[in-house]
Amino acid sequence: MSLLSSAWAIARKDLRIYFRDRTGLLLGFALPIALVGVFGLVTKYFFGQESGLSKTTLWVGDFDGSARSKAFVDALRGAATVRVKPDPKEKAETAESLRKKVEDGEAHHALVVEKGFGEALAAGRLPTLRMYRDPDRQMEAQMVSVGLMQAFFSAAGSDSAPLLTARALEILGLPEEWRERTLAVAQAFSTGIGALFGEAEKEGKVGADRAGDGAGKDDGGPDFQSVMLDLVPVERVDLKPPKRPKQLSYMLAQSVSGTGVMMLMFGLVACGALMIRERDQKTLDRIRMSPAPSTALLWGKYLFAAICGAMQLVLLFGFGRLVFAVDILADPVTLAVVSLATLLAVSSFGILVAAWARTQKQADGVSTLLILVMSAVGGAWFPVQIIDLPLPAKIVSRSTITHWAVSAYQGLFWNGKSWYEPPMLLSIGVLLGFALLAGLLARLLFQRRYVGV
Amino acid sequence: MIQTAALVVPLLEVKDLAFSYGDRPAVRGASFSIRKGEIFGFLGPNGAGKTTTLACIAGLRLPSQGSLAFLGEPFEPAFSPRDRARLGLVPQEIALYDELTGRENLEFFGQLAGLRGGGLDRAVGEALELAGLVERGGDRVSSYSGGMKRRLNLAAGDLHRPELLMLDEPTVGVDPQSRNHVFESLRALTSRGRTLLYTTHYMEEAQRLCDRVAILDQGRVLGVGTAAELAASAGIPGADLEQVFLKVTGRRLRDE
Repeated sequence: MSLLSSAWAIARKDLRIYFRDRTGLLLGFALPIALVGVFGLVTKYFFGQESGLSKTTLWVGDFDGSARSKAFVDALRGAATVRVKPDPKEKAETAESLRKKVEDGEAHHALVVEKGFGEALAAGRLPTLRMYRDPDRQMEAQMVSVGLMQAFFSAAGSDSAPLLTARALEILGLPEEWRERTLAVAQAFSTGIGALFGEAEKEGKVGADRAGDGAGKDDGGPDFQSVMLDLVPVERVDLKPPKRPKQLSYMLAQSVSGTGVMMLMFGLVACGALMIRERDQKTLDRIRMSPAPSTALLWGKYLFAAICGAMQLVLLFGFGRLVFAVDILADPVTLAVVSLATLLAVSSFGILVAAWARTQKQADGVSTLLILVMSAVGGAWFPVQIIDLPLPAKIVSRSTITHWAVSAYQGLFWNGKSWYEPPMLLSIGVLLGFALLAGLLARLLFQRRYVGV
Repeated sequence: MIQTAALVVPLLEVKDLAFSYGDRPAVRGASFSIRKGEIFGFLGPNGAGKTTTLACIAGLRLPSQGSLAFLGEPFEPAFSPRDRARLGLVPQEIALYDELTGRENLEFFGQLAGLRGGGLDRAVGEALELAGLVERGGDRVSSYSGGMKRRLNLAAGDLHRPELLMLDEPTVGVDPQSRNHVFESLRALTSRGRTLLYTTHYMEEAQRLCDRVAILDQGRVLGVGTAAELAASAGIPGADLEQVFLKVTGRRLRDE
């Protein structure tokens, strides 16, 4: 037999074996399709929807109640980068409750439109807004600034152009006493620009030869981008949870929580899959035939998975503490409670996969698929918690173990919450619910697959 | 059907046992009884239903009909840990953990059987002796030869001194020395009063080892008795088990 025909015979045999496990095969092909789909959806919601930008939540309280302030808040609701809360139909927040939301880590930005907002605009003055903010949430700060600018321009109308131009010059260093003069220059500038546009429009040239996006960028000059973002006058009040470790950044906390939960899932699914091997080896028959209680097998698997998971978490968090100097042991009791709930939920998931799968290939395929999907939509890779997801995406995200586990760890690491506080209790409760549901399903499937009862 | 009467209280009595894999029947109304202290052979070609019958007796499969009685009492090992403790199983496969040592394997299965402390140590020591692996007990099973694994597989099934030890083709693929060791081990076990249910498709093994034999084919028990009784019932007195077997089951090839 020639080399080629021998090689082809071997390949044909392998293909036959490969195609014989139809469920495994389906999963093998479904996996890349599902991943592309999930990545596409996550990217779409994360990096931009129809407006081209994703939205972040901004809590707003209008304590002026004037037509202008209402128009401003309405404009904020229509802004491309923020989603205003509470909704018009919901109960309005007080200034103190807005402050507390940020202080407790429940919100990262809360805007107070103070009394006098409309009056100031009417008098040709820039009103001052107050913003309670978490200073460590830089990404959201940029999005909020863009939304504020958009809304302010929209609400204040053409009057705002000279006011904002004057403020821009102030920010760039022109002394405040020259305010009247800069305002006059800005007004003349605004009128001149208006005239130029009018003339160009008459000649039908508006938009014909627009300069490139990078026009006007001067590396050695002022940072116009930050000037633009600061144009709307806001008095910023920086607040952050007192228990938050100093060295921690939001993305680092996200990374530690997200990666930890994802790797835990992979690890514990592998633990559960050992049961498939035992079934094939018939050692499982020996265990089942022993006088040990029949539930001992499943409990033993849980215990094994939980111990492996605990070791994995200790290593991961230990690494985080050593390398990134993150003080993850600030609240060891909450860390233990959150970890236990996560371990139970993830172990149940791993055992459920093992009980469902007929072959190792099926277990590998379905677990990889589910873990990657749950990690992507549940916030283990991207902080989807900061994005205002559309309702269906929100439901999908909240249906994952990952979402609640990452939320619980983030609540602990980032917001310094203790296990008994309401948002933490919710996350812990949902995780335990997952554990119970997956555990019951695993038991049912185990009876069917392994016992045949 | 050939049937010889037994006037002793059976250790295990199987009545009208049936089991199907989906719509494919594997065991069809099998009835037989095993006496205390004997080696009862379960003889049949591949796919005859021997392993499935064993699994039903062990409680690993739930039969669709039939009943089991142990010393006259209803027997439900699938649901009763006490009933399971009366049985030992030596599966056809090497049901051991390759990554663990021989001793660790035995300790694990011994603990599951409820053995602890000195009792466990003693049982493990005796099992290693039975398997002829006292010197190699500390080595990983993955380093054992096929024969060593077979011997340890047997010893693991007998670790907790079950009243009935079921062996599913325990000599498949072993060299003559290991096979001989297995036979000696089984004789040693019966000399200690143990009862064995031994499945095989090797006629000479059944002839050499078993006190009584049940011939099983296509899920049905075609005859039960000593080799001489079976030969007489088949109308070929003095014939060996192979001749009786071929007479009873026919010469047609069996598709598994």
